Amino acid sequence: MSKQTAAAHDPAHDEHRPNVKLYIGVFAALLFFTGLTVAVSRLHLPRPQAIALGLTIAGIKAALVAAVFMHLWGEKKLIPKILIGVAIFAVTLVVIDVLDGIWLTPQDTSRMAVADQHPDESAAEPPAPAKPTAAAPEAK
Amino acid sequence: MNATAIENPDTHSGISNAKLGVWLFLASEIMLFATLFTTYIVLRLSATSWPWGWDALNVPLATLNTVILISSSVTIVMAYARAYDRDVRGFRLWMALTLALSFGFLIVKAFEYGHEFSKGIGPSTSVFYAVYFTMTGLHGIHIIGGIIVNSVLLYMSFVQEDWENPLFLGRVEGAGLYWHFVDIVWIFLFPALYLL
Repeated sequence: MSKQTAAAHDPAHDEHRPNVKLYIGVFAALLFFTGLTVAVSRLHLPRPQAIALGLTIAGIKAALVAAVFMHLWGEKKLIPKILIGVAIFAVTLVVIDVLDGIWLTPQDTSRMAVADQHPDESAAEPPAPAKPTAAAPEAK
Repeated sequence: MNATAIENPDTHSGISNAKLGVWLFLASEIMLFATLFTTYIVLRLSATSWPWGWDALNVPLATLNTVILISSSVTIVMAYARAYDRDVRGFRLWMALTLALSFGFLIVKAFEYGHEFSKGIGPSTSVFYAVYFTMTGLHGIHIIGGIIVNSVLLYMSFVQEDWENPLFLGRVEGAGLYWHFVDIVWIFLFPALYLL
């Protein structure tokens, strides 16, 4: 068997036999969902609903690309396992930071709150002026 | 690497090492963009106001770029299909189309950036624009990386020895995986920055 023929019948690629009709169908679906995303954004829905809808449509589009174009549909199980691991890390990263952003209010980071939590460090700082004067720049 | 290793790549995992390597690389890329998206979410949640993309950016141009990138995903998978069937002319045609669309994306993006710079808008204008330029800029760098890889594959298809190499199809598949990933990143960037 020549190298050329061997490559064409490589068992590692048999499960990814191209399906042109499916590719065209997915392409049409992606164009439709792109138009839908733009149209929905023109409806001026309340922001939480708009974000949820927009990201849902984006998720469907991404899933189509991953499943069909990247051949994840029918791929060996090792690849989805790797991706699930990555997804867990990514979601954890997002959730921790978002919760931190929600719970950490401006009051928590104020000078008073920091002084309460770290009295030793705040004692070393020079005392702030009681009232900003017109001549002095306002403290940020 | 000897000839036996080339013709019989290690597949203990059921997947060629090259393909596994590409997927692991993409896993690291997912974490990179997840970090950026997290930054975007935190900054947006903590901002007192956040502009609508329609008011601050050029949505029609971004929509055009979305269509261009989706089309390039189809053309590169068609190039893979032609390589699978050992049709070198078809492969060259679809890969050349992919490259043309990639350059088209960059040209539209450059036009968009140019329009913003001409209005005095840059990354330092506001948090929104800092996020916008960082995320779309990094995505643009990934597009340039894909253009380089795809150009090399197109060149290799003109070299008889490279085209007949059993590893060539795997290389095309790896380049395609990367390109589709870049497409997926844009699929999320487009609504996040321009529409929501």
